[in-house]
Amino acid sequence: MLSPAIVILAIISAILATTMIFAKNAVTSALCLLGVLIMSAGIYGLIGEHMVATIQLVVYAGAIMVLFIFSIMLLNLNKEETEYKQKPLVFFGVIGVGLLIGGVLFNGLFSHFKHHHDGRVLGPFSHETIQQLGGNSKVLSFALFSQYYISFEVISLALLTAIVGAVVLAKRKFD
Amino acid sequence: MTNDLLVQCLAAFLFTVGMMVVLLRRDTIMVLMGIELLLNAANLSLVGFSNSSQMIEGQMQVFFVITIAAAESAIGLSILVNLYRNFGSIKTEIANTLKG
Repeated sequence: MLSPAIVILAIISAILATTMIFAKNAVTSALCLLGVLIMSAGIYGLIGEHMVATIQLVVYAGAIMVLFIFSIMLLNLNKEETEYKQKPLVFFGVIGVGLLIGGVLFNGLFSHFKHHHDGRVLGPFSHETIQQLGGNSKVLSFALFSQYYISFEVISLALLTAIVGAVVLAKRKFD
Repeated sequence: MTNDLLVQCLAAFLFTVGMMVVLLRRDTIMVLMGIELLLNAANLSLVGFSNSSQMIEGQMQVFFVITIAAAESAIGLSILVNLYRNFGSIKTEIANTLKG
């Protein structure tokens, strides 16, 4: 039942994410985040969601991470800029808050999977149905341009606003 | 332990780590990266549940989340460049005045 490839990707992803917290250099953290995103794309591909995997690789791992690494290079940060020295109280407080949030999440997950997961109502898009309809990408694209077309247009407007806003913010001279 | 549970556990772990990155690090670029990690964890959870429930609503939601994440990081990084130009640093604690 448990696929070994997904286990390997999950373990690598968890290690990279943990490295991201404690890395001294911002570029190391950015590359760890890139690794986490690529591993997530791999997991999407392995559970059969090829369209989402492709979008994740192209947009997230391609565009967004290039933007991050570019701005790290552009800012030319010195060493003490990205280093973090926390008071021990703050450090352990944050670790405690993180463990608390993680505990709540894992508790909810395990109780869901123990009591409610087998009795869930299944949708119409089983793997066989998706194969008959022509594959994952075709089904998702059809839904995107028929059922969700208003959301699609609104999201394109949001992207346009973001582009204009980014250009205005970056070019504006403050006194 | 099934694949669904593994994916959901990974999503919960990534969410916790992202939250800790946002709370712990003191420079804006790391806070933005933590937000990306949080969004990615939410995406993973959405895709996992939607895949195991044989629906496509989760994947559609993930498209929109990814688009909003791209817009958010573009705006966030241009704010960050401005912050560095005006204050000479990207620490979160130096930006404590509202005068633009």
